[in-house]
Amino acid sequence: MSGRLRRGLADLACRVLQVTLPPSLQSWGWAVRCETAEIPDDTEALLFALESLCGLMPHAIGARLLRPCASPTGDGALHSGGTITMTVYDATMRRPRALGTICAIGAVALGLAYLLIAGAPVRYLAVNASALVIGLAMLALLGRAEAAARQGTGGAISAMAGALLATALLGDEVEGAARWVHLAGVSLQPSLILLPVMLVGFSRSRNALATAGIVASVLAMALQPDRAMAGMLALALIVLAIMRRERQVIAAAAVSAAGFAITLARPDTLSAVPFVDEVLYSSFDVHAAAGIAVLGGAALLLVPALAGWNRDPANRATYVTFGAVWFAAVMAAALGNYPTPIVGYGGSAIIGYALSLLALPKRAEARAAAASATRSEAEATPTDRHLLVGTA
Amino acid sequence: MPRTRALSPHARIVLAVLLEARGAWSHGYELARLADVKSGTLYPLLIRLEAQGYLEAEWQQPPEGGRPPRHAYRLTASGVQLARANPAGQPAAQASRRREATL
Repeated sequence: MSGRLRRGLADLACRVLQVTLPPSLQSWGWAVRCETAEIPDDTEALLFALESLCGLMPHAIGARLLRPCASPTGDGALHSGGTITMTVYDATMRRPRALGTICAIGAVALGLAYLLIAGAPVRYLAVNASALVIGLAMLALLGRAEAAARQGTGGAISAMAGALLATALLGDEVEGAARWVHLAGVSLQPSLILLPVMLVGFSRSRNALATAGIVASVLAMALQPDRAMAGMLALALIVLAIMRRERQVIAAAAVSAAGFAITLARPDTLSAVPFVDEVLYSSFDVHAAAGIAVLGGAALLLVPALAGWNRDPANRATYVTFGAVWFAAVMAAALGNYPTPIVGYGGSAIIGYALSLLALPKRAEARAAAASATRSEAEATPTDRHLLVGTA
Repeated sequence: MPRTRALSPHARIVLAVLLEARGAWSHGYELARLADVKSGTLYPLLIRLEAQGYLEAEWQQPPEGGRPPRHAYRLTASGVQLARANPAGQPAAQASRRREATL
């Protein structure tokens, strides 16, 4: 590697560091960059820059997570009290989407472990990993336009319902079930991608258009037919109706229950697909570690709902709907030949999970702020300052 | 109940090197070499020390034009106390010797 290339890579590492660091730490990014420029040896300069990048990256991520609970004095101090681990934990629990992202990554990783242990084709692992990247990229891109998205929830739900109806009428049919579409050589299940975000979105923002979209999606699931997704609709809407006793929600819940009953009455003769269906109860036959990975991954899917319920009382209906959606998906996979979400082979559920995080609040409210104030007062003792240094 | 935890060896040795400087300004690369720590360990430590008031940092203009400014560091009075209360062990002595050798 030429000296010029090494110097260029060192500068690139410094620039990446500067982009990553939050404003309160920007001067440190400049400090590393200027110091790197002063190192006469190209190799040492590159090592200095790369080590700084690796060392400060967790700090940068932690500081960005902590931004909501940063010092109100704006002094750039990272921690007002407690250990770094506890503060990062607290900050993550207050950001449902960030927590959901971590759970998605963890569940996919556990799913990959299962697929690896079970001897699945490498292509399956690549598909799941790629789906995670796509899903998180969509979450990041669409998450920026949240205000506009909230205003257009009704239209978006209706448009997605249209896509589900089109799948039922024009999609690929296998043994009497029309649930899939082919896109760029890949077979996708639109209902697994779209229904979770539709339902969680409906729990936050409802109007006549959104209700019509939900009813249309019930019709689509009855036509396909898809018991798993119809069950997801019914469970999520019934739970939402219990939490929000509004006429639109109760009507949608009643229609969804009828739709689910129709799918139960219609024959569903699809056979199990290896690594996709029957994963939950067959994984322990493969290996105990595979079984634990599958159960652990499935449990992770519900963590944002449980954390949100506990930390954000103002939005409990949304978290309950989110939990009901993914609980229904897991239960369907346990009871019938339906895809095992996230931990089994299949990218649709992974993308669907990431998209459903989009409908969660960005930040947990109310109780989190009170908890933060209490913690700061209780733990801001002089001895804690030494603790922070001690962790270095 | 108040908890106490000893400073890490890296924190102690960096503090020792800064204490050895006797109030003179030090730079990141020089500190990393003298303390024999990686820059990825050094900078997070410097950030914490500065945030907690143990370290003073300033930008210094280079004596000759065309060079970038440099971020320089020295201990504050409380930093000196912290360094004295937490002396480095064997690694600090090594650092001192290495520094003397470069003079």
